[in-house]
Amino acid sequence: MQELKELAKKLLEEKQVSAILGYEYGRLGPRPAFATTISDCDRLVFDHRCVHNLAAYLSPRRTQVAQLGRLAVVVKACDARAVAGLIRESQLKREDVVLIGVRCGGVVRDPAADQQLDAGTVAPRCLECEKREPALADHLVGEAKPAPPGNAARDARIAEIETMSPEQRLALWTSLLERCTRCHACRQVCPMCFCERCIAEKTQPAWIETSPHARGNFAWHLTRALHLAGRCVNCGECERACPAQIPLGLLNRKLARVMADRFGYRVTDDPSAPAPIGAYRLDDEQEFIL
Amino acid sequence: MSNRRKLSKTDLAALVGDLLAAGTNVIAPLRFADQGRTAIEYGPVRDPDEMVLDGPQPVRSLKEAVFPPTDVLFRWRQTKSKIEIEEVPATFPETVIVGARPCDAAALDVLDRVMGWDFRDEMWFGRRQATAVLSLACTSCDDSCFCTAVGLSPTATRGADWFLTPVDGGYEIDVLTPKGEALLERYKARCPDSDGPATRAAGVEEKVRANLDVRPEAVRAWIETHFEDAFWKRASLRCHGCGACAFVCPTCHCFDIVDEPDGIDHGTRRRNWDACQTNLFTLHASGHNPRKDQAARLRQRVLHKFGIYPSRFGEVLCTGCGRCVRVCAAGMDLVAILAEIGRAATEEGGAR
Repeated sequence: MQELKELAKKLLEEKQVSAILGYEYGRLGPRPAFATTISDCDRLVFDHRCVHNLAAYLSPRRTQVAQLGRLAVVVKACDARAVAGLIRESQLKREDVVLIGVRCGGVVRDPAADQQLDAGTVAPRCLECEKREPALADHLVGEAKPAPPGNAARDARIAEIETMSPEQRLALWTSLLERCTRCHACRQVCPMCFCERCIAEKTQPAWIETSPHARGNFAWHLTRALHLAGRCVNCGECERACPAQIPLGLLNRKLARVMADRFGYRVTDDPSAPAPIGAYRLDDEQEFIL
Repeated sequence: MSNRRKLSKTDLAALVGDLLAAGTNVIAPLRFADQGRTAIEYGPVRDPDEMVLDGPQPVRSLKEAVFPPTDVLFRWRQTKSKIEIEEVPATFPETVIVGARPCDAAALDVLDRVMGWDFRDEMWFGRRQATAVLSLACTSCDDSCFCTAVGLSPTATRGADWFLTPVDGGYEIDVLTPKGEALLERYKARCPDSDGPATRAAGVEEKVRANLDVRPEAVRAWIETHFEDAFWKRASLRCHGCGACAFVCPTCHCFDIVDEPDGIDHGTRRRNWDACQTNLFTLHASGHNPRKDQAARLRQRVLHKFGIYPSRFGEVLCTGCGRCVRVCAAGMDLVAILAEIGRAATEEGGAR
């Protein structure tokens, strides 16, 4: 993608930024890359295997990335929602980052295994995606793309779970969460998990037990899901990163539905849109208050 | 000691059935499926037909059969100023692992060194002694495998009590240890003598060799003389600092010890897997962190495996399984990292 490379070089040459955060081809497919020299820019690529949400590197806890100086970041529409989230929650100033928006027709589930983008390989997050390009961007590169392949039946599983009894749901999540070993890949790849000290790391008291047993795993995953309600950008990185293949996105998407139903709120890439977690509205429903 | 036997596929299934009927735990690669994703994992077998012996490598290593992600050390109860300790039973159920990858079986042997070093880890050796490992030669590999670079191979028998080599319709078995002999003694009827040479699957080893050509000694020499090299920062920038690589690794063995209350006056002391790539791993109570950034943490991981462990135990703490490469969401690639260190070592000429 020559247009991306030329833009990256221009931004570095004009000293608008000191590094470009984009994608390169590693041995096993695309992976995040930091280009700090003009020749580095020739390595930059973007295609349907560039699944990673690079906004995760913009959180203030990434001290080594912050040391690089001002960054330009390659963002898909879904990634831009995360950048907007960081700005909305005062973790990033809009003027401190240059956003290179890329037009996107969907990405694959697994960048190492899936070569072609088709209905069988498309990432779940792309199935209901309506945005082919981010609105939150300083530059926009790439050709216009068609909608991702596949259908919008992504949340059939949520509908199925909603028909289950509480006992059945408990049994389902017990068996799914049993496989968690608490590597915390879900948290580390999440662009919205930016706390300097995660509640799961606090020991006095230990709100969330660190042991990978049912009690600890439920406490961890349910707390994380609640913390992401109305904040999760549905980039699916937690689910992709999970070595235990736990379908974490189900929890997040269910809560996104609740936020849409109760507060009429959908996560957007407009940083000025107030999110329910940080906004007060007189007309919020409060029928649960007796 | 080697005793060559053969075992048909039907008889292997029957043998597993016999073991289960005798109350023995059997662990083998099984398939898990969810949401369109599938994975092979080692797990407890309930039915011999569940075993997936010819599939891809299990995502997690075999270490959890001997070193579970969480393990109870003891339970305690406090009454006024008195604390009673309830020891956990020190007996371990008899277990047979069927279809261990050679890299996983070797890792158990590698870890015996540190587990029996300054403190003899009774939990580890208790399970080790109760567990027989039936390894299976690899007939396939992928771009992340590099066992040949760390002195092993797709047919390495290290750590195995039986070594199975696939042949038409079944397996040739090499019985390698007294534990393996004892197991054979019980199931001799299913495993007739074999005089045929085991035909190794051709080409797998060459493919693994093509992935990485580096000498561990050269890697060690370079790391030990490049503690502050800019390489570490460059190579670690994309790392998210999670524990996925360490948790799927067959040789990573760090753990954390926690006391968890189970009620007002009683609780459990457990040990849980821990990982050196996280910020919290070395964070002091004062707030100081001697490994202050991801560069220091990546260096630690590579140094421990290729420098510190060899200096103490004479061999690397890595069996080249490639799991850390496969599992990394950020594309951290130990094969590429070792290749780059190997190239740098050669160019600088100091390692030869």
